[in-house]
Amino acid sequence: MCSACGFPAAPGHWTEAGAATPHERIRERFRRVQVLQKVLQGTGVTAHDGGVVPGIQVISLNGAQTIVANLEALWAEVEAMRGHAFDPLDI
Amino acid sequence: MTDPTEGRLRLTILGGFLGSGKTTWLRHQLHKRAFGRVHVIVNEAAEAPVDDALLTAADQMTLLAGACVCCEARDDLRRTLLSLCDQRSRIADPAQRLENIVLETSGLADPAAILEVIQSDPILARQIVVAEVIVVIDALNARDQMQQEALSRAQVEAADRLILTKTDLAPPDRTAQLRATLQQAAPGAAQSAAVFGSGLELADVAADTQPFALPDLAGQDAAPIAASQLDLGDTPDWTAFTVWLSALLYARGDQIVRVKGVVRTPAGRLLLQAVRRSVQSPEILPPQGGPERSDNEVAVIGRGFTQDQLVASLARFSA
Repeated sequence: MCSACGFPAAPGHWTEAGAATPHERIRERFRRVQVLQKVLQGTGVTAHDGGVVPGIQVISLNGAQTIVANLEALWAEVEAMRGHAFDPLDI
Repeated sequence: MTDPTEGRLRLTILGGFLGSGKTTWLRHQLHKRAFGRVHVIVNEAAEAPVDDALLTAADQMTLLAGACVCCEARDDLRRTLLSLCDQRSRIADPAQRLENIVLETSGLADPAAILEVIQSDPILARQIVVAEVIVVIDALNARDQMQQEALSRAQVEAADRLILTKTDLAPPDRTAQLRATLQQAAPGAAQSAAVFGSGLELADVAADTQPFALPDLAGQDAAPIAASQLDLGDTPDWTAFTVWLSALLYARGDQIVRVKGVVRTPAGRLLLQAVRRSVQSPEILPPQGGPERSDNEVAVIGRGFTQDQLVASLARFSA
């Protein structure tokens, strides 16, 4: 966008654009991990976010752990741990 | 001898595939006032329009949403153009008259079919001259689009001018190969480049650059691209929605051609736009554009899934 014809873009990863204040951001993080834990049930992968360290922790059934920066990286990690992608239309 | 086009209303058709950057290019041109006294007609295949909110620099605008003007909504286009011709003929002073119409087509439109609408109407054919067919080409995705979608090729073939977008993100050798392919598909069309609407110099294409192969798509049996509409309700759960959408784009990015919509969040009205797997940083739109604005509705355009599947899947994330 040229600065005159566009509107300002939300900073950070697009999935985190819904929160503007620190308070909203931490609430969104807790909500995000709550949704993830629910939808990942039965997939052999769990997600954790204590709100202290940046990023989302992804843990596989055999104990492998990694921290990813955002949701896009999370789905790639989930695929790597399971051997196939998580398809939301297929649950 | 007088120019036979003199006095006629000039129509520019702006085409290009879903997510190629038509609106971004046009809004910069409108900001620069490149079209003089202009009426913009925006056509969107999705029911919840977004582009009109971005084209606030247009003097006048008509929005035709929910169907494509090259097929189902031909009559709407004809009526709109006739009414513009009628309004213009009531103004005696040429300095006040409308000079240009820009028709921004939906990403699923074939510009040649729109030309036919105008040429087949006896009034429009005398009142309107088609100044130019401009087709916007997404330098990142055009190769896949032209190899897989017959429509994408038809758009290129109809062009008088091709504008390559996203050239800053595409490798130069790939852009050169794309240009050689475009040159072959539309030899008469001038090529230029623009990034977020601002013009950019294109390097010369080396004479030995090979165009990429275009497989024969005749008899192609792919399901048609369809637009699904998701209603996120009055108070959307942005987080659940983005967890869902990020997973969907990761798993089904090949089938989802375009996602767009305006979502209200505590951080403001966010314009969400994705082309295939790549999502643009949401723009924060001004508070309200009018009571009829269809916020919190997101269009997902693609093939291989149904609207019901999307709605049911999203509901599992939001519950």
